[in-house]
Amino acid sequence: MSTRQASVHAKWIIGQVIGTKMKKTAKVRVTRLVLDPYLLKYYNKRKTYFAHDPLEQCTVGDVVLLKALPEKRSKHVNHELEEIVYKVGQVVDPLTGKRVAGKQYLEPLTESTEVSLTEKLEQLNITASTPPSVS
Amino acid sequence: MPMKGRFPIRRTLEFLQKGETVFKKSVQIMTVNYNTHGDLSEGARKFVFFNIPQIQYKNPWVQIMMFKNMTPSPFLRFYLDDGEQVLVDVEGKDHKEITNHVKMILGKSDKVLEAEALAKMELSNPANFGPKKYFLRECFSEVEGQVPHPGFVPLPKEMTGKYRAKLAAGSDE
Repeated sequence: MSTRQASVHAKWIIGQVIGTKMKKTAKVRVTRLVLDPYLLKYYNKRKTYFAHDPLEQCTVGDVVLLKALPEKRSKHVNHELEEIVYKVGQVVDPLTGKRVAGKQYLEPLTESTEVSLTEKLEQLNITASTPPSVS
Repeated sequence: MPMKGRFPIRRTLEFLQKGETVFKKSVQIMTVNYNTHGDLSEGARKFVFFNIPQIQYKNPWVQIMMFKNMTPSPFLRFYLDDGEQVLVDVEGKDHKEITNHVKMILGKSDKVLEAEALAKMELSNPANFGPKKYFLRECFSEVEGQVPHPGFVPLPKEMTGKYRAKLAAGSDE
């Protein structure tokens, strides 16, 4: 069968990686909000996609951005890994660029312009010289 | 009997249809990062509680994902068709400010929306008749003031064919 262009209607997808046991392929779970017709409330509906990951850089739990491939790579793989948005354990806050864990910053926010203690000591030039005698 | 839940008005069609934010075609994914505690995320939490269902109702093909307690400050992130990402800082803002800002940067303007609504109306002309799936009415008899189908309401005797035939036969003789 000839390969068709634009195999999926969604070009970009975000999801969480749930499995990396396959070679160069990541299993990604994508949740979309679907309206319940009676309750009129939105619930997450899951769907798993397989994404081509040539460098095997995903671990389970990463939040990952996938791009639709122009043609199907294999029977199930229609997407490829575009970017790891939030790596598990090493989340980087996009606003500041610092590493973050929950509500805390792991790296200090402001670059300390203060000179470190050892450098301060050197400046004071304290040597083991005889102290001035107290008369 | 009142509706169940905290603000059950969120679950009404009228509320969902009130949403004004219709994204431009290039917006594919919307991601909201917010915290469950803290005053700075309050606006983001209200935005997720009230406005996300409205946005999703108007944009059924945009994937919306929520992340809780991942970063200290709340923000929105949009992923566009050409790979571009739009980051919107939402710390300390009110949920109304957030919706207005989002509508301004990535939503279709009112003029465009009106033009689209007009184009849609032009496609369906209420003056046409046909199957119920495509048109308002099937037969002219469905209009108020017109003679209805005898299947629903029996015709008055003077209009039936057999009475008129009898009259004609009677007048001939």
